[in-house]
Amino acid sequence: MTETGGTERGAERTLPPWWVVLLVALAVAAVAFAIGRFSTFGIAGSTPAEGSADAGFARDMQVHHAQAVDMAMTIYAETDDEHLRALSYDIATGQSSQRGEMFDWLVRWGLPQYSDQPMAWMAASGSGHAHGVASTAPQSDDEVRAAMGMASDEEMSALHDATGQEADCMFLSLMIRHHEGAIPMADAVLELGSDERVRVFAENMKKGQTFEIQAMTSMQQRLGCS
Amino acid sequence: MTPNDPAGKRTSGNPATQAQLNLSVKQQREQQKQQKLAEYQRQLAKRRRTKATWWIVGATAAIVVIGLVAASYFLTPRPVSIARGDGDGAGISGVQTFEHTANHVEGVVDYEQTPPAGGDHNAVWLNCGVYDQPVPNENAVHALEHGAIWITYDPSKVDEAGVAALKAELPRDYTVLSPYEGMDTPITVSAWNAQLKVDAPDDERIGEFIKAYWRNTNGPEPLAACTGALDAPGKQ
Repeated sequence: MTETGGTERGAERTLPPWWVVLLVALAVAAVAFAIGRFSTFGIAGSTPAEGSADAGFARDMQVHHAQAVDMAMTIYAETDDEHLRALSYDIATGQSSQRGEMFDWLVRWGLPQYSDQPMAWMAASGSGHAHGVASTAPQSDDEVRAAMGMASDEEMSALHDATGQEADCMFLSLMIRHHEGAIPMADAVLELGSDERVRVFAENMKKGQTFEIQAMTSMQQRLGCS
Repeated sequence: MTPNDPAGKRTSGNPATQAQLNLSVKQQREQQKQQKLAEYQRQLAKRRRTKATWWIVGATAAIVVIGLVAASYFLTPRPVSIARGDGDGAGISGVQTFEHTANHVEGVVDYEQTPPAGGDHNAVWLNCGVYDQPVPNENAVHALEHGAIWITYDPSKVDEAGVAALKAELPRDYTVLSPYEGMDTPITVSAWNAQLKVDAPDDERIGEFIKAYWRNTNGPEPLAACTGALDAPGKQ
């Protein structure tokens, strides 16, 4: 009897019943499924937070771009120079689109568009210090905008009032300074940012604006701007 | 050590040996049978125990697997709420919300709120900025449609220092600051479809309202410009 019992147990071990095989297979599949779900958790939870360089860049660069659009639209309506009109059309439409994309980043990250402390996010970067961003006391709006290369209210109304070659030259010098202000911001987010799309965007923006600065400098020479 | 016992009448040898000697052949066979039976039952019990062990292992594994799958659902990080800080001022006490149409119309519009917080408006929007004279409602409402915040103060109730404090509070872009007569309270902060009435410029809710509603996605055109259109008289 003991002999028979032993043989039976042996048989069970070599050939488990079909339902055991099915259950084990189901369990393995379920575990794999759960691991698959767990593996996506990090990705879902990694959007930039309030106070991040990515969010700061998205907010401040929108403000920066909005003024570039305003300036470009102003000269687009005013200039008689065909090349400057094409360039201003390019800047106005291009920066409007970029601004829309940055707006949407913040919407998707669940963050407000509003910034408590513009440019504060740059303080931790190398270009932040070189750029005159104070890491201690919050700066006034005018100081922040000047640090970003933006035009003052007086400069904007002077541009609106100017005509002819004076307007063209004023636009070029304001826009060159404006573009030059954007490059350290792009550098800072490349150094401090974490979002991959923001990095690609900043890299492209830096290349594009560097190229446009060259184009505007040669345009200044052609138009005889002093 | 053995005490005087009634059972210990037999005094010769080991009690076990004595008992064996006392057994008949029939009894010995019976005993062998009993031993075999006991052995069989032990085997049976062992198999039952093995079976029970497998049931426990199987059930535990099943619970763990079900738990893992359940956890992969319950512990899923919630997608960031689009509403947070973006057009959701529900947490700010005193905020009123409305529903408005957004057609372009000519002439004067009779607005439901004073000052208006959305509605039909002029085709030309008001440029954002600081105004020291009342601005036309129909153009200002178009600026609200473009994501602006409109801060209005009663000039008879808010002094110069109060106006300066409001000005300091505002972001430079996408805000209109202007005097407005005939309001319920000294100061009103309006966005498209949302409004907050406050008594003093240092009310903390002004900043909270701006943070929640400035260029929020509830408005029809939060990405449109607040420049390049109408500079009303009194723009600073």
